[in-house]
Amino acid sequence: MTLTSPQKRKSRWPVWARRGLMENIATVLIALGFLMLFQPFALSLYTYSFITMLAGTVMFIIVSKFPE
Amino acid sequence: MLNRTAENVARATPEPLARKVRGISDKGLAWLFISPTILLLLAINIFPLFWAIYLSFTNFRANRPNEVVKNLGFANYQRILADKDIWIAMQTTAHFVFWTILLQTLIGFTLAWLIDRKFRGHAFWTTLILVPMMLSPAVVGNFWRFLYEPQIGLFAYAISFVTGIPPTNIQMLSNVSLAPWSIIIVDTWMWTPYVMLICLAGLRSIPEYIYEAAEVDRASNWRQFWSITLPMALPFIMLAVLFRGIENFKMFDMVNLLTGGGPGSTTEVASITLKRQAFESWRTGYSSAFAIILFVAVFGLANIYVKALNKVKQR
Amino acid sequence: MSLTTAHSVVAPSANSKRIAGAIIIAYALISIVPLLWIFATSFKTPPDSIAYPPKLLFQPSLEGYCNLFTTRTRQTPEYINSLGPATDFCDETTRKRNMVIAGPSNFLPRFVNSLIIAFGSTFCAVFLGTLSAYGFSRFKVPLADDLLFFILSTRMMPPIAVAIPIYLMYRELGLSDTALGMILLYTAVNVSLAVWLLKGFIDEIPREYEEAAMIDGYTRLQAFWRTVLPQATTGIAATAIFCLIFAWNEYAFAALLTSGTAQTAPPFIPTIIGEGGQDWPAVAAGTTIFLVPILVFTILLRKQLLRGITFGAVRK
Repeated sequence: MTLTSPQKRKSRWPVWARRGLMENIATVLIALGFLMLFQPFALSLYTYSFITMLAGTVMFIIVSKFPE
Repeated sequence: MLNRTAENVARATPEPLARKVRGISDKGLAWLFISPTILLLLAINIFPLFWAIYLSFTNFRANRPNEVVKNLGFANYQRILADKDIWIAMQTTAHFVFWTILLQTLIGFTLAWLIDRKFRGHAFWTTLILVPMMLSPAVVGNFWRFLYEPQIGLFAYAISFVTGIPPTNIQMLSNVSLAPWSIIIVDTWMWTPYVMLICLAGLRSIPEYIYEAAEVDRASNWRQFWSITLPMALPFIMLAVLFRGIENFKMFDMVNLLTGGGPGSTTEVASITLKRQAFESWRTGYSSAFAIILFVAVFGLANIYVKALNKVKQR
Repeated sequence: MSLTTAHSVVAPSANSKRIAGAIIIAYALISIVPLLWIFATSFKTPPDSIAYPPKLLFQPSLEGYCNLFTTRTRQTPEYINSLGPATDFCDETTRKRNMVIAGPSNFLPRFVNSLIIAFGSTFCAVFLGTLSAYGFSRFKVPLADDLLFFILSTRMMPPIAVAIPIYLMYRELGLSDTALGMILLYTAVNVSLAVWLLKGFIDEIPREYEEAAMIDGYTRLQAFWRTVLPQATTGIAATAIFCLIFAWNEYAFAALLTSGTAQTAPPFIPTIIGEGGQDWPAVAAGTTIFLVPILVFTILLRKQLLRGITFGAVRK
């Protein structure tokens, strides 16, 4: 993937794992966890809200170490 | 004399070496300066946090410290996450968070937008508007109970004066459907200035030349608002919304004093449930698990908040 | 809308300014009513305070303040008549209600607790915060961003969630219901704000000053003391006021972790009761005394408020 634009991107870090994109995914995951926590429709969604938020938060912390 | 020698030595020696000569090295000084804060936070925040994580896997009860502590694994978490009452408390919290943020953002942004017109005396009136947010939510919230009193309270009287409903019928705090709104009103009154102040900063950060360019292009005011004002102020609005979201998600003091979670459990937000479990039923292990769940939620939002802060900082 | 009359093409017209001004003034006046009502109620007599319709005009009285600072017991008229003449105003008003003053109330000690804890924790937080902020601002600290986030995140924690283990820890250490325990706790909460705010202020002081001082032969520590600190005084003062207001206003920790000797004013004021329910003039009097310092500070701080509430990120 880095081969497509060698001048622009010097690092060998794959494009899909760059900070911006992954941080957005983690943000969406945390937001989704909140929606599941707050929704009044299904108890099972509430049950899995915590693990979703935890996954999003852990992902956010890891991903923030990735290069830009 | 001595000074001059020092100066000469300083000029002659290369930078890194020069720093070492003058007492403590920069690196040492940096750690000397930072470590007390980190140590304090480790002792008062992080150590208790890990203790709470440990307790959340047990059936420990703080009012019976001599009982044998059993390891329950994830049972506390499973119980909380399948508990209908706590689910309902979460929905109560959601209702509170949703409406307060919606009202505060709408009113706060509108006020900021009006203040940005810089009419005469706007600085004075802005300061006056900002006063409620600096006050103690507990002490002022407590006084709102008096304003909400059905007959003698000013709020009930004012509402009945406007609507014609007899003032004895306006039971803000004891009516099941009005109680959640009584809290929303106080929170909105108190924190709209907060949202307003940040929105005002957002509006003021928009450079004038963009509007001038739009004016040249003959863009209508309506168009300018939607394609310049709102998008440019959006990072600031997000910042305010996120912070209010975190604060209201963990709201305790105002609710505890206004309704205490009542009537029944109609205003029992997450913090009140947590307090009842931890400090009234003394189910320490169980409530620690609940505390960890709330903590993870807030921590996740805090990550996003800091990201939003950095975005605003770059402006 | 024609904008030709305005000086700048984008300046709002005089009319829209007038309308905006009217709305803002109306909002400000309405939002200030509860505070005025607190102030007014503190000067009402108990019967006036619960009159229907609520009294806008009334004979001002200091009874609320008397009741705030004293505890009273009901006595028979014969007993009251057998006493000598009333010594002061409070004594007189209390006797009119068929009561005698039994002693001072807990308000003053609670207020003093609030002062000790707020000032103590502010001093510690600002001291630690200034050092750390300087460290983060001037040196390359490994993982600086993570440490700063860690510091900020401690402030975001839900107070009740923190209070459970703190309660247990303080019980073990003998710190529960002590001023020292509360000072430590508030310092920990405030230090995060102090670090973030002060880092913003110190970042704005050009490094050249210190570098010049160091070329003159000062050590880094002396340079910090003689050039950075004097220039950061405004920032330090603003930060101190923010910390002070937080510690002054805090309720959740105080309500859960203190009950007697170290209780602060916020959990105490709601418990002021008279005969047959809450003594609203006394509560209002306590609230007024409690709020006046914050009002003064808010006015002093108005230019720095934005910085304070965004942890130094938005500087205008």
